[in-house]
Order: sequence, then C-alpha cells, then structure tokens
Amino acid sequence: MSQDDDARGFEQFERFLEEWSRRDFLKRTGGAAAYLTFLAGGLEFLEACAGGGGTTGGTAKKGGHVVEGNFSDIRTLNSMLSSDTASNQVIGLMFDGLLNYKKDGSLIPALASDMPKTSADGMTYTFKLRSGLKWSDGQPLTSDDVKFTYALAQDPAYKEVASPRRGDLSKYIKSIDTPDPQTVVFNMAQVFAPFLSAHGRYGIMPKHVLGTLDPKAINTAEFNTAPTVVNGAFKFVKWDKGAQVTMARNDGYWQGAPYLDQWIYKVLPDSVAVTNQLKTGEIDIGPIDPGQYDALNGVSTITRSEFPVPVFTFYAYQLDPNKPAGPLFQDKAVRQALLYALNRQQIVTAVFFGHASVANSVEPPTSWAYKDKPQVIYDFDKSKAESMLDAAGWMKGSDGIRAKGGLKLKFSMITNAGNKQRESMLQVMQQSWKDIGVDATPSLIQFPQLVSQIVSIRTFDMFLVGFNFAEDPDQSQLWHSRNTAAGGFNGFDFKNDQVDQVLDQAVGTLDKNKRKDLYSQFQDLMSDLTPAPILLFNHGIWGVSNRVQGTDFGPFNQFEPRPWNHSVWVTDGK
Amino acid sequence: MPAAGIETGGARPAQSYWNESWERLRANRIGMTAGILIVVLAAIAVMAPLFSLVLTHYQPQTINLDQTFAKPGAAHLLGSDELGRDTLTRLIWGARVSLGVALLTVALSLSVGTTVGMVAGYYGGWIDDVLMRLVDTVLAIPAIFLFILMSILFRPNAFTLAAIIASVGWGSVARLVRGEVLSVKQRDFVVATRSIGASDSRLMVRHLLPNVLPVLIVAASLGVGQIILVEAALDFLGLGIQPPTPSWGNMLTNAQSYFFRSGWLVALPGITIFITVLASNLFGNAIRDAFDPRLKS
Amino acid sequence: MLVKYVARRILASFVVVLGVTLITLILMDRTRGAYVPGIDFNPSLRPEDVARLRADLGLDRPFYVWYLSWIWGVLHGDFGHSMIDGSTVLSHILDRLPNTLELTVTAILIGMIVAIPVGVIGALRRGSKTDNTLTVVSVAGFAVPQFWMGLMLILIFSVTLEQHGLPWLPSSGAFSPFNGGDILDRLQHLILPATVLSFFYVSTWSRFIRSSMLEVLSQDYIRTARAKGMSERRVVYLHGLRNALIPLITLIGLELPGLVSGGLVVEVVFGWPGIGKLAFERALQYDYSTVMGVTFFATLLVIAGNLIADLLYGVLDPRIRYG
Repeated sequence: MSQDDDARGFEQFERFLEEWSRRDFLKRTGGAAAYLTFLAGGLEFLEACAGGGGTTGGTAKKGGHVVEGNFSDIRTLNSMLSSDTASNQVIGLMFDGLLNYKKDGSLIPALASDMPKTSADGMTYTFKLRSGLKWSDGQPLTSDDVKFTYALAQDPAYKEVASPRRGDLSKYIKSIDTPDPQTVVFNMAQVFAPFLSAHGRYGIMPKHVLGTLDPKAINTAEFNTAPTVVNGAFKFVKWDKGAQVTMARNDGYWQGAPYLDQWIYKVLPDSVAVTNQLKTGEIDIGPIDPGQYDALNGVSTITRSEFPVPVFTFYAYQLDPNKPAGPLFQDKAVRQALLYALNRQQIVTAVFFGHASVANSVEPPTSWAYKDKPQVIYDFDKSKAESMLDAAGWMKGSDGIRAKGGLKLKFSMITNAGNKQRESMLQVMQQSWKDIGVDATPSLIQFPQLVSQIVSIRTFDMFLVGFNFAEDPDQSQLWHSRNTAAGGFNGFDFKNDQVDQVLDQAVGTLDKNKRKDLYSQFQDLMSDLTPAPILLFNHGIWGVSNRVQGTDFGPFNQFEPRPWNHSVWVTDGK
Repeated sequence: MPAAGIETGGARPAQSYWNESWERLRANRIGMTAGILIVVLAAIAVMAPLFSLVLTHYQPQTINLDQTFAKPGAAHLLGSDELGRDTLTRLIWGARVSLGVALLTVALSLSVGTTVGMVAGYYGGWIDDVLMRLVDTVLAIPAIFLFILMSILFRPNAFTLAAIIASVGWGSVARLVRGEVLSVKQRDFVVATRSIGASDSRLMVRHLLPNVLPVLIVAASLGVGQIILVEAALDFLGLGIQPPTPSWGNMLTNAQSYFFRSGWLVALPGITIFITVLASNLFGNAIRDAFDPRLKS
Repeated sequence: MLVKYVARRILASFVVVLGVTLITLILMDRTRGAYVPGIDFNPSLRPEDVARLRADLGLDRPFYVWYLSWIWGVLHGDFGHSMIDGSTVLSHILDRLPNTLELTVTAILIGMIVAIPVGVIGALRRGSKTDNTLTVVSVAGFAVPQFWMGLMLILIFSVTLEQHGLPWLPSSGAFSPFNGGDILDRLQHLILPATVLSFFYVSTWSRFIRSSMLEVLSQDYIRTARAKGMSERRVVYLHGLRNALIPLITLIGLELPGLVSGGLVVEVVFGWPGIGKLAFERALQYDYSTVMGVTFFATLLVIAGNLIADLLYGVLDPRIRYG
C-alpha cells in the first residue's frame, strides 16, 4: 500500500472507531477486536447501517413528509443567480446538475451518465447526458439546457443576467458546444483543475422556460421564485415568504420517484428554535449549533451526526504598510507570537463546546491535500510568545503595553454583530493578548459593513470572519496577490511571490499527485508566514428525527445539493 | 393653571405651587419608595467602578473560561455567563447604559421639543405650520423602523443611541409645549411684558418657559420607563450597545440559547429591567399626581 | 366643515409620506459601501462584477435620481423588486401584511377582553384588596420588557412543557409546516405572541377603564337612575359601562397607527412572518427597495390611523369641532 492509502486507511479506521464507540461496542469488545472487525469489512457494514436514523434497515415506506429547518429564508430558486446557502439548499432539492458530491467530496455523475472525458491537455471536458432525462412537464432535458444554464453566466449575450458566477465562468470557459442532444463539450480558456468540483454541480435550468425571456427579464422572472418545471427529486409547490417552501414528489425523477410525498423547508428564527423544534417534532431535520448540541442530550427521538467540515474562522492582520496598523504586523515574529499566545483549544472548548477542531494548517482536514503537520505548528505557548515579542524589540511599557520605537502594540479587531461565537472569540483573544501586553479592542459592526471593509474600504487593523472552502484545495481567493485588488478577498494585502507561484502551478495541472506535492509546499509556507491565521475548523452537526431514514449527512453533503434526497423515507409514512 | 400666578401679576407661578406639589409628592409613599429606588440605582450606576473594585472584585469584561455558567454562589454572587464574566458586575455596569441613555434621551427630547414647540406656539403663522408639519412627519414614521435604520447607519454608542430614540420623542414634547404656549400666550402678563419692549427670546425663556415646566416634568417622568424599555429592546435586537460592553438588553440577546445551561442568565437581566422600569413608572405616576397642574380643580 | 378638514389632512399627509420616505432613503443611502445586497461573501466576484451588480440594482445613481424614479414607480403602483431575491416588494408586503394584522388585531381583542372586566372590577371594588392587586398587576404589566416576556413564555410554554411531556405551544411561525394552516393550528401559534403583545394594552386600558368607570359612576344621571329604583346591575352595566367604554374606542383608535409596526419585536422573537420582521431583516441586509416599500406602507397606515383616531375623537367628544 502506498503512503497515501496508509494515511487514508488510518483515517477510515479512526472514523470507524468513532462510529463503533457511539454504539458502545468498543467499550465491550476492545480495540483489537474492533480492528479485526474493521479489516473484515466492518466499515462497509456500518455505513450500510448508518442511515442517519437510530433504527436500522427496514423496507422503505412510500408516502409521508419531511420538514427541514434552517434559519434563513430562500432568496431565489435560480441556480445561476443564487449565492446564499438557503437558496442553494432548496435548489438542490429541485434541480440536479451534471455532477454531484458524495458526502466525502468525491464527484459522482448526476445528470451526466458518467464522469466527463477530459482531454489530455486538460482544456476540454466532454459530458454525456443520461438518456431519457425529462423535465417535470415531460419535455426532454438535453444538452441545450446545459449550455443555456452555463451561458447565463458565461455568454456575453447574457451579460445582463446578474449572476454572481460570471467572474469565474467567463474567465475559465471559452465556449460550450452541443454536438448532439446528449453531449456537452466545455472548451476551457486555460487549464483549471478545480473546474469540475467548483462548477460542475449547478442545477440545470430549463431553456424552454427561461430561454424565451429577455436576458434582463431573467433577473426578475417569476420562475426564480416559483419554478414551474424541475428536473430534480421534488417539484415546487408554494413559497410562503418568510415561513416555508413546500415541495412535492417529482414522479418523473431520473433516479426514480422519491418515497416522500412532500419535502418542506421551514424558516426558523434562530438556532435555539432549531433545537426546540427538533425536540417537539415541529421539524424533522435541522443543523445544530455547537452551543445547542448538549440541549439534545438524552432526547431519544433525535439522532445527531457530527463531522469536520471545510468551514473555518480566521483573523487577518493588516499587512498594508500604509494603513495605521500595517507597521505593527510587518514582522513575521509578531504575527507568529500573537498566534502562540492564543489558547485555541480553550476557545474550541469554551466557545464551541468542543465541537470544532484547532486548525494546524490552512487546508481543512476534509481535504485530500491536507497536511497534518506542516512546517510550523502553533500550540499554545504564552512564554514563547512573550520571548518572541521581546526578541523582536517590542518591550512592555509602564502601562503594561508593549511598544517599539514609540509605536504601541495596540489595535482594534472587527467582526460582524449578531454572531455570538465570533463575539466571544474576540473577547477571548483580547484577554489572551492582554496577558502578554498587547492591547486589542473588539468592535462589532453590521455584516454588510464588514464585507465592505474587507473587500474595499480596508481601514481595519484586524478582522475576524468565517469562511468556507469548497472541495478543491485551491485557496487563491484568499491568498493570491491578484486578489488584493479592490473587490478581492485578500483584503489584508498579503503578497508573496512563492505562494502565488505554488497556487498558480497547482491549478494549472490536473495531475493529482503533483497537486498534492504543491499544496504540501503551500501549507508549509503558510504555516510559517501566518498572514491570516486560521483559528479552528468547524464541525457540521445535524439532527435527524428517528422517523426519517435515508439521510446521509457529511462534510460535503450538508447544505449543498445532496445525492440522496430522493431516497429519504419516513417510518410512519405520514 | 395656577391662578395665583396671574393675580400677582408676576410671570413666575407662585411659590406655593411648587411647595404644594412637593408636599403632595412626599405624601405618596409608594411613589417615594420608587423614587428612592431610582436614586439608589442611579448612584450604583455612577459608582460602578467602585462597586467592581470593592464589592464584586470583577471587571465587567474580565473573562474566566474555567468558571462559565456558574450558579449564584460565593465566587459569583449572581452567577456567571458563557465566558465566565460575573453577572452582578455586568448588571451594575449595565445600569450605566440604561439609566445613562434614558437620561440623555430625556434631556435631548426635552430641549429640542421645547424649543420647537415654543417657537411654533409663540410665533404662530407659517412658522407654526412648517414646524408642525415637520413634527407630524417625525411622528408618522413608525418609530421602530427609524431606530433600525439609524442604528445601521450610526455606530451605536450611548450618545448616538440617545439621539436616535430622542429623534422620535421630541415630536410629542413639541406638540405638548406648543399647546401650553398657545394657551398662555393670551394672558395679560404676556401682552403686558411685550408692550414694554421685552425681546422675543427673553419673553420665551423667562416667562413662558416656567409656565411650561410643569407639563414638561410630567411628560419626562412618565416617559423614562418607556425609554428604558425601548433602549433595552434595541440592544436585544443587536442594534444598540454592542457587546462586550454590558447592557441589560444585550445580556439577553443570546440568553435563550444558554437557558438549558443556566436559567439565571435569562431571568436576571429581565427582572432588573422590570424592577427599574416599574420603579420609574411608579415614581413618574407619583410626580404626575403631584405636579400636574391640570389635575387641580 | 368635516370634509374640508379631512381633505386638508389628506393633503398634508402626502407631504408627510414624501418626507418619511425621503428620510428613509437618505438614511439607507448613507450606508452605501461596496456591499451588494443579496450577495454573501462571494470570492468569485470581481470588482467589475460588483460594479455591474450594483448598477443593475440602481445603486450607482445619486439618491435624488433614485428617489424620483421610485416615486414615479409608486404612482404607478410599482414598488420595484427586492434587491435580494428579485420578487416584487408588493408581493412580499401582501404576503406578510395579513400575518401582522392577524397578530396585532388579536392582541387588541385580547386586550379588550381582559382589560374591561379588570377595569370594571377595579372600579366597583375600589380601594379593596382586589382592586389593589389588580392595580399592581396592571402597573407591573406596563413595566415588563416585551422581548423578555416573549423569551420567558417560549421557555415556559414551549420548551419546559414539552420537556415534561405536557401539551406544549409552538415557539415560532404562524402555522405548522405540514397539514397546518387551519384555524385551530393558527390559533395555537397565535396564543403566545398575541398574549405578549396584548400585555401593554391590558395594562393601560384596564387602568383607563377603571378611572373612566369611576368618573361615570359619580355622575348625576347615575344617581338619578339609582333613585328611580333601577337595579344596581342595570345601573352599572347598562348606563355606567356603556358610557365608560366610549372613550375606550378612541384609545383603540390610538393603537391603529401601531397596527403594522408595533409588533416588530414580538415578530422577531417568535419568528412570526410579518411586516415588522420583514423590515428588520431586510434593513440589516441593505435591501433598500423592500425597506422603502415597507416604510411607505407603514407610514400610510400610521397617518390613516392618526386621522381615523382624530375623527373618532371628534365624533365622540362633542366639545371638539373641526373647522
């Protein structure tokens, strides 16, 4: 077995142990027995058993409904116009794309019959659609629909369509060909390794409905809030604004008609309501806030599943020397010292109640490129932080605050109001840094203002925000120097030629092994430079009522389109 | 209105009005108790740093991750919150916010409202029309919408918050004052004073204002309770004083999510608000009963 | 006479509505940054995309241009589209307005149903222990923060009841997602938020009815009725109560302006899909057009409510004449 398989295997074993211990088996049989069972294929057995519900197996019953709760209302049901989680979640129930994710992030064909053929130079992707695909109104789903969907964001003829995807798609796709109704060919403008995983899953929109409209009119089309035809597992029924979206079974779905009669997406005021309503049964499925996890202890009707996700919280140092705080953070020693001074495990325990993982690398643990031990690891070490700052010339003044050359190590930290965890994190950081003579003041602003600050205004000293990566390990959006331009997310002005080079090379090749090496270098570089340290990676936590079977939540099967939506059923058939 | 004022020909109401009112107030036991409570709360608020030092030994923002969600006990008299901060200390410092903003708001409302009302009532004519249309406009805006918009616009601190809440309150004060001015305007002493050449502003300040004062006192005292509630609601919604600065309202913003770990976090700030508003309402009622010139007949 | 008065008021109202919407727009305009309403943290947006999206939404125009085009649209009944989801603002408002009215009207009804007996009993047993207790409760009700009461009621009647296996009340929403929507279901969801909202009314109105009742009962015609030998019950309920309630109508009228916006805090706490919650959420998301539309409607209702209240007052109080 290669080193990769070893690592993968061990990872799987660890997951297996987790599953076993939850079932109390491990406590009785012991680790050795568990490992033997694992070797004997126990993992597959468990996965077959783990339907997300507490009871195992049973034949799927037809009929019934499921209520899924979340705390935002949808905004649009057009896959090319949506940019928020809630909309994507509901779109995923009604529209399939060419590909989909399994819960571990690996791509599987959805509307496509197979994974696409990639040309040797990586510049062409050829997709073959499944035969017999139909829209819910009986019209055939063809390559024209696929081309139309992508054209909405990529074709200059549709430039009046307000798609947030235009930037990427028009940059990377040169043209789309449809030689026959079952074949779509994407001709790329350049080799872009993340293309399939980042852009291969958009729900396909019906050309025979939206294509009749003027490009400008597509932005406000009624279809966007009341789709008349779908190609996914469920059809649109009704949107009670601010309350819920009701969907009904699509009998013509290509994977077979779903078991459920109805799927309802309910809007909830906050995370406490999710927990409360899981308990009362008002909702069947919902994402659980880390702080609310314990509220469901002992609730026998709900099964919780928890897994690492590529979502994280990070803070960024202002690196532009022309900004007020810029001079403070130019020295790498300062940046590293401040990170050493943070007890991140304590933050995980106190703020996330243990439901998060300290980040050792900029890549999430869910990524195939993840390097567990990059060059520099920042365990909590207060004395090291202090000696580093001393060595760098930042001495404590009479007021206890460190200063160098008349400049005090004093700055403000901003994050968005309304997010309890971020507020708490800022306060813990303030305290930790106060303990080593650094004066940091938290300040809360509204989210839109925070976005403006990061992306254009950029007068911050330090900001704290959450972010999430997709399945592909490419992180150019945050770290590449070209994104320091106005409008980019590299708002902290991080510019490093080596990092740029590695990032560019890594997306310019389709060779996975080569990419993995490059990302290994990348993670080492970032661990040393720490321009914007990642504090922790979150865990995804979902609660599912025991009457619901067939769910299979995972790192990449949360709010994204999920390949198992159609196979969910309820034990009571109601 | 105090008849005594007119008969003596002086512009100021006779001393007996004020003395009478004070007597009446002192006799109202419930009111006085409430009033004393308010004064004590205000004193505590002002001396918050002292209390931190001497009584609770905690600062309002000192966190202690080993003592989160502590129940009331020796270490934390009223328990601690999700970051281990002492609840009692935060309640004390929160009083600064609630009472401070309320005081500021009343001051702003009264000053702006009185000025506008006096000018409108005194000059009449088109000035009156324009000003009252302005007042109508301000009073027509659904207050809470305005609060939301302004909170998004201005980084909320105690001063801007007071200004925001006052921006809606001054309207009713203006109307009230205008009404009083209109009725006083006709009186002999005003005409007389004018005829001897007193300037407008002198007339307004030295003669009209004292007559308007009783109504203002009543309006102010009755409004304080409501202002405290509005301010707490804005904080709760995340539009007012932001954490980590403690305020009774923002201590409740996330309290619901911690209920199952510590019910005290939900109960205590709410009870504090309730007691304070109750006391200020009772005291306000007592003042109204004692000072309202219209209640004497 | 009356017609002239109403006409003048309506004319003045136009000015006020213009003023309010202008103020709203100015406030929102000042918050312009690089933020595109509706687009969350989206890394693939390039600056030119952002600029184009903002231009699409009309955010690159100076505010007076925008205001005038908005007015023009309103005059044609077009309130524009939400900047976040593209639905028409009107559809959002019409969808949620009934929910808000359902809440506030129910609260007023509860207020009346509870306040009248409380006030009457207090008046009839003036000075007694009952009266004192009721007074204390009324005054206390006036001092409870609405949002806190909402939280506490949810915790007691939804969470705790359910924990103990007792029948519980729902904690959010206006109706059940599945098979909901019937009267019983809606009532279940309505009880808690409407109760919270009605507390204020109960407190103020019961005090008012009490003093109004006391005043009426001390009138001459009451004494006459008693002297004529009418039963105490007839005296109290037929003559006393009826006359004491008349001013209550004006009090209710005073609540008309707050019918749309008054329930905002309760709506947010209970996740009630109403206008107030809409305005709150959209304001935080910088959805300018929706906020403008909602403010317009709310203002219209405030003005209408004020006008009706003033007219009622005039009708019921013969001492007031409009000229």
